[in-house]
Amino acid sequence: MPKQMYDVIVIGTGAGGGMAIKTLCEAGLKVCALNAGRRLDPEKDFRFHRMPWEMKFRGFDDPKRRGESYGYLDNEYTKAAWEHEIPFTTAPGTKWMWPRCFSVGGKTNFWGRSSARFGDIDFRAASLDGYDVDWPITHDEIGPYYTRVEKMIGVASTVQNRPSNPDGSYLPPFHFRCLDRILEAGSNKVGVPYLPDRCAQLTQPHEGHPACHFCGECTTGCDVGAFFSTPYFLLPKAEATKNLELRTNALAKNILTDQNGHARGVAYIDRKSKQEVEVYGRAVVVAASCVESARILLNSKSRLHPNGVANSSGQLGRNLCDHLYGESVRGYLPQLVGRPPFPDHVGDSTIAWMPRWQNLKDPHEEKFIRGYSVYPDGGCQDFPGFASELDGFGSSYKREIKRRYPAPVSFGIQAPTLRSDTNYVDLDPEEKDPYGIPVARLHFQWDDNVLKMWDHSKQVCADVLRAAGGVVEDIGDEPEMPGFSLHETGTCRMGNDPKHFVTNRFGQTHDVPNLYVCDASVFLNCTDKTTTISILTFSLRTSEYLIENFRRGEHKAA
Amino acid sequence: MAGQGIQRREILRILGTAAAVAQFPGFSKWTFACGHVGNAVLQIKPAVYNPQFFTAAEYALVERLSEMIIPSDSTPGAREAGVAEFIDFMVASDPDSQYAFRTGLTWMNAHSERLFGKPFVDLTPEQQTSLLEPLAYKNKTRPGEGDGRIFFRQIRAFTLNGFYTSEIGFKELDCPSLKMYAESPECPHKDDPEHLHVSHPIS
Repeated sequence: MPKQMYDVIVIGTGAGGGMAIKTLCEAGLKVCALNAGRRLDPEKDFRFHRMPWEMKFRGFDDPKRRGESYGYLDNEYTKAAWEHEIPFTTAPGTKWMWPRCFSVGGKTNFWGRSSARFGDIDFRAASLDGYDVDWPITHDEIGPYYTRVEKMIGVASTVQNRPSNPDGSYLPPFHFRCLDRILEAGSNKVGVPYLPDRCAQLTQPHEGHPACHFCGECTTGCDVGAFFSTPYFLLPKAEATKNLELRTNALAKNILTDQNGHARGVAYIDRKSKQEVEVYGRAVVVAASCVESARILLNSKSRLHPNGVANSSGQLGRNLCDHLYGESVRGYLPQLVGRPPFPDHVGDSTIAWMPRWQNLKDPHEEKFIRGYSVYPDGGCQDFPGFASELDGFGSSYKREIKRRYPAPVSFGIQAPTLRSDTNYVDLDPEEKDPYGIPVARLHFQWDDNVLKMWDHSKQVCADVLRAAGGVVEDIGDEPEMPGFSLHETGTCRMGNDPKHFVTNRFGQTHDVPNLYVCDASVFLNCTDKTTTISILTFSLRTSEYLIENFRRGEHKAA
Repeated sequence: MAGQGIQRREILRILGTAAAVAQFPGFSKWTFACGHVGNAVLQIKPAVYNPQFFTAAEYALVERLSEMIIPSDSTPGAREAGVAEFIDFMVASDPDSQYAFRTGLTWMNAHSERLFGKPFVDLTPEQQTSLLEPLAYKNKTRPGEGDGRIFFRQIRAFTLNGFYTSEIGFKELDCPSLKMYAESPECPHKDDPEHLHVSHPIS
């Protein structure tokens, strides 16, 4: 019996894999998609407007589970969607929090939805400030792909004419809340921007998807698909073509290569039967997320690829970058004390942002290079977390909590690390997962540049809060642990020189022409913007390049 | 899955709630309190609660402290929300917190005996308040009460967790999470961006 041969095997169904799957299937290619976890059922797996008192532990989760949870998203509402079986390790001195969603759709089920484009200030950063290298791409070239993605997924924002932020094609923005108007006035006084965020949340019906109902529970999964996720937006389109076979609980182990070193398929573990299975294709797309993709490629050793497939540069797994996250400043707005509650939580994270304002005119005007962005938030949320910081007890205490309920505000920083030789991922030489696959080992430290941004943000955010008439209650001490942001990039960087980069400017690996990478691992660094919309955009471009290679006959049956 | 209307899902949700809540251990009081019609709460006599972790004496002290922290006054408090049951359940589920609770409650009674010659629950309300105030207010701190201040913070945090995650707690704050909107809610004070002239009706 002849072996089943697909055109393309795609590893992963998150933003990168989902976009590749849809684009390839619609072009008529036969795709086998491997997903390490199961399909989610929104009715069972999402929060579904469930209130905390309907949860056994009121949303605080089982205290005994603390050690096995990998982060704040992996909580009592959605824990069944997160990965707990496959471990990872950290090198001595490295701290790394790593929530991984292996369910179909990956982290797009729960993502934060901020969706700003990368710009030439990011792509040409090295030319501007002399650190590292430029991206092998310009905004002129990638811009049209961003526009198509924005139209596909629906992004609410405004045209802002910021030098660090190319504008795109937008749905009407979220309205500003009272706290936004007050902080906007304070920001104007200090001279920093305060604008509607670029939020992939449907402020009106869009492309057959319903408008948001503003329940404020996005990060525990949307039950109507009113923000982009691959299970709602991409996989149904791929499945409609009948060109997709989606295999779930299929944990990719390594890339299979032939005697010429070309990819011929993928070996995976069927987590139900615990058996190793091989699946064959004319091309392979790796989109398992930055660190997992590196792990799979590093674990694909053969005679022609002794250090892992597509690693002749030695750069596979290197150059790991991440966003430093942290609460720079926390306080409250006296103007809102005693006001009736306002539905401030409806955006469930990003209504406003303070996009990068540093080092715009001169790349060295600050004590650090590059720049960071800030996400302000506050007001009435599900839980009055500020109450434990108030003095007292009794009726006066209870009344003060009610009075202060609309007033808290905080500023969260998103700051990129610089690439470094000492931040990388490799395979742990000893530890293996339950299926015998070496686990990923993280080596990571914050750099001085990003810590200077962290300090800078505390000063500016405190100035903004005071200028807004607010009270500063706490200045950030320690940032969140590395990995917290879920924005890791850089383990398969793209570049023109095969000696120094894993993939070419289209995400095709230099060493193996029928092996492509479609996730944030191809990014040279993480910039001050979030990654998802850029993963979608670069994946769209890579997928169309792959299709073109099929049309030109470059990928043929073995 | 994208085609489902909110109404159908809401009905499913409401049908699901009663069954789901009933199976959680130790929540006799707040399960009933979920039926948020005032009369219904009064008519249903809660079952006698058997603490999972605390002794009967400890549990009485937890009840009293949680009710002093979030009292029943013009609105329902920790008692109606079943906060003591929640604390017992969470401490029973969390071995890491048990030692601190047990020693903290012991400290409270020993301190009460030292000051007034009686366990805390047998004091007058005025005596209880006078004992808690130095633990709860930074500007009333007394030397030698550091352990008590730490324990008070802990039981107050558990009380907040229990109260403001109950339906009664959500109603106390009029939490907007209970609602949905046709469009994103907008600040109504167009002519006053800094909100210098808005009223403050909650005094």
